[in-house]
Parts: sequence; C-alpha cells; structure tokens
Amino acid sequence: MYDKTVRRRRAVLALLVVLSLILLTAYFGEAPSGRLHSVQRGFLTVVAPIQDGANRALKPVRDLFGWFDDTLHAKSQNTELRKQVDKLRREVVAERIDQQSYGELLAMFHLDNQLSASDYRPVNATVVSQTPNIWYSTVLIDKGSSAGVQVEDPVINSEGLVGKVTEVVADGAQVSLITDSSMGVSARVGATAATGIVQPKVGDPNDLLLQYLPANTPANKGEYVFTSGTVAPPYNSLYPRGIPIGQVTSINEESAYKSVNVHPLADLRNLDVVQVLTATAGSQPARLSGVVSSLPSGRQTGAETGGAGQLASTGTG
Amino acid sequence: MSGQGVSNGLIARIVVLAVAVVFFQIGVVSEVPVFGVTVDLSTLVVAFIGLLCGSTVGAASGFAIGLLVDLALVQTLGLTSLVFTLVGYSCGRLRELRDPQAALTPLLVGATATATALIGYSLMEFMLGVDAPVSLELLRQIVLGVLVNTIVALPMWVLVRRCLIGGLPQDPRRRRRRAYTTGGLSPLSRP
Repeated sequence: MYDKTVRRRRAVLALLVVLSLILLTAYFGEAPSGRLHSVQRGFLTVVAPIQDGANRALKPVRDLFGWFDDTLHAKSQNTELRKQVDKLRREVVAERIDQQSYGELLAMFHLDNQLSASDYRPVNATVVSQTPNIWYSTVLIDKGSSAGVQVEDPVINSEGLVGKVTEVVADGAQVSLITDSSMGVSARVGATAATGIVQPKVGDPNDLLLQYLPANTPANKGEYVFTSGTVAPPYNSLYPRGIPIGQVTSINEESAYKSVNVHPLADLRNLDVVQVLTATAGSQPARLSGVVSSLPSGRQTGAETGGAGQLASTGTG
Repeated sequence: MSGQGVSNGLIARIVVLAVAVVFFQIGVVSEVPVFGVTVDLSTLVVAFIGLLCGSTVGAASGFAIGLLVDLALVQTLGLTSLVFTLVGYSCGRLRELRDPQAALTPLLVGATATATALIGYSLMEFMLGVDAPVSLELLRQIVLGVLVNTIVALPMWVLVRRCLIGGLPQDPRRRRRRAYTTGGLSPLSRP
C-alpha cells in the first residue's frame, strides 16, 4: 500500500514535469502563428473582457494603495519638478526659434515628409492588467483589433514611449513595455545623428541601456533620448521619429562603441491610460510598416548592423 | 493525504481560490509596487496548498496555477508550470515528512517558496537565452521579492487555510494531537 502511494506520487510529479517541458519546448520552438500561441490568444480573447470588468471593479482598491504611495513620493518630487520646469521653460523658448528655422529648411529641401507621430491615428486605451514578473514587462490594454490596433503598433503616453503591441485579440491587446527583455528600440541622443539601440537591463525596471553608439558620439548626462525613426534587425518595429524615451543618467566608454544608461521618462509601473499609434490602410506609416515586415528577419545584433543596416522612416512620397 | 481521498469539494475550493488569486494578482496587486517590487500571491498560494494538502495535490495545483498564469499573461507556456509544480511538490513533501506545526512555518515556507520560484524562474530564463543585458539589480529584486512575500505570507496562509480547511479530510495525526491539547485523553481530567 505504501509502495503504491509512493509510486503514484512520483509518477504524478514526473508526468507534470514532463508535460511542462513538452509545453515549454513546443511553445519555444513554434512560430507566433502556431497552435499553442493560438490557444493563448483564444484564452486572452475570453479573459480580456473579464479583466477589463475586474479592473473597473477593483479600481478603488488600487487607487487607495496608489494614494499612499503617491503621497509619500509627492513631497520629494515637488522640489525637483520645480527646478525642471524652470529649465524646460528656458529650453522651450530656444526650441521654438530652432523649430521655425528647421521647418523652413526642411520645406526648402523637400524633406518635410518624415514620418512623425501625427501621421498615425491614435487610439486611447486603458491598462487593465500588468505582469507581476521581473522577466516580463507587459500590460494588457482594453483595445484590440476591433479598434484598429495591430501587432507592432507603437504605444506611448503623455510622458514618452511606453512599448509596442505584441499580441492582439478583438477586444484587447498585450503591450510589451520598453523594459521587457525582448524589446529593442532604435534611438538617438539629443540632436546627434548617430543611432543606437535602447535595450532594457533585466532586473532593473528604472534603467535602460542605449548601446552601439559610435565612440565619438557626444552625450551628456541629463540629455534626452528619442526614437530615431529607424528599425534595426531583429527589432522590426517602426517607431515614428522623435518620441522621447528617457534621460541619460551615465555614460560608459567602451572600446569600439559607446553606451549610455537611460532612465525611462514614462512611469511604467503606474500606467493607467496609454495611446496606441495605429496606421490606417494606405497611410504612410502603413506603407512603411509593410516595407519593414517584408524585410528578411535576420537575427544579427545591432552591433553587427550598426547604423548602416537600419531602414529610415523617411517617407518616400 | 498524498493524492488519494481528494474530495470534489476540495478540488472545487482549490479551483475557485486559484482563479480568484491569479486574477486579483494580475488586476490589482501587480499594479501596486511595494519597495519597487510586486507581491507574488500565486507562489504563496501554491506553497500553502502543498503545505495543507500534500505533495500530489500541491504539484497538480502548482502545474494548473502556473499554466493559468502563463496563459493569462501571454508568457512562455510551461515555464511557470514547471517552477510551480516543483514548489507545490516540495511544500507537500515537507508536510508529509515533517508536518511542521510552528507558528512561523508559513513565513519560512513562504520565503523559501518565493526564493525557489524566483531563482528557478531566472535560471530557466537564462537557459532559454536572454537577448537583453542582465543587471545586478536582479539580485536585489529577488531579495526584495522574497522579503515582501514573507510579509504577506501569514495573512495569505490564514486565507488559504480558511478556504481549504472545510474540504480537507480529518488527518489522524492532527486529530490525535488535538485530543491531547483539549484534554480529552488527559489522565488529569478523569474523575
């Protein structure tokens, strides 16, 4: 009797471990259109409206916890923000003058058809759930393909770049945040022309790494990092040019390349409302996304391609 | 109770508890960071189901809850299942071999289970290959995660125990111990 119990216990454990390993291997090996991914999307289709409802019902609870957290942080942020406002006010005045000259020059040289966030159709969405995991940084939003949301669409909020859409069902979508280990965004520092790739640092949600910048790229602490409007394989998402990503916190001089640590501008831990930049059929972003998706999907790193292997989001007219 | 004698009532209770905790975790708890990390209730639930119901039920619950988490969060299928299966089984074996009754047992089990889950998950991710650079902050996050989960382990234990106790069959060893403590078999209580 005892032997039978022991044998059964061990058999159950072995069965469950083997089943997990089979699932893991099959999921890891199959394409995103594979059977297990479809099951997951099916589950998401069912769960998304429930999570949306639960999110609305439980919002007061979340707000209560959030209130304590916000109150604790508000005082320390106040002084810092006042200093920033003064600095930004001065910068805005200077930027306006530059912007006017820049617009005139672009028009003069017929370069004023660059892809920008205004070329997209923004869809406002509410975050209904968040991943509780160090390794995955994803959120679920309440808008899906029925609202025109598609995989690879950029996602922003009022502060800056948030991430991109990685899974879509009719009434919901999964957004991988820029701190997710699978993400990489082509970016540049300040006004420099050199581009690098912003990658997350796994385990540190407040730190990103802008890598593969040419060694002579000028970069200073406090400078802003923007999307460059280019794609670099294997990260084939086309983010419009000029979306702020973060601020430089430190600079690392390496042998051939320079890398900088970047603090994300968007508060990715407290996302409530985001905007998905969708491309309507026939629009310039849709055409460019089509070009990007038709590119061979190489697994080469940004270091191998550098800036040269990137496709610019400059419109072709 | 290592598998045999699992009543339908207990299974129903575990299913309801697991679904409620996973959705509460995803919808509310994940959006409220404590010391920069989020509490992981699902790991605690798996550990405590194992501690209350034994290794077989612990492992099966761990697998099912892990699968639910992977499906709901669109993560790599099978990864959380594998880690939670081992956590649930280990906690169940602890009960079967030692049957710890100390008041601090849930704290220690919660902390150990969380540490095992976080380290196991990280090792699996490393084995599958990580494209992004890994920060040393990961260690701090793991330590903080264990600390935060330890804080909520006791209330979570009370909740899980309360939910499942009605579905658990009477354990002979517990009944004997209770008989002693209530004085029923004490020679002093005899007339």
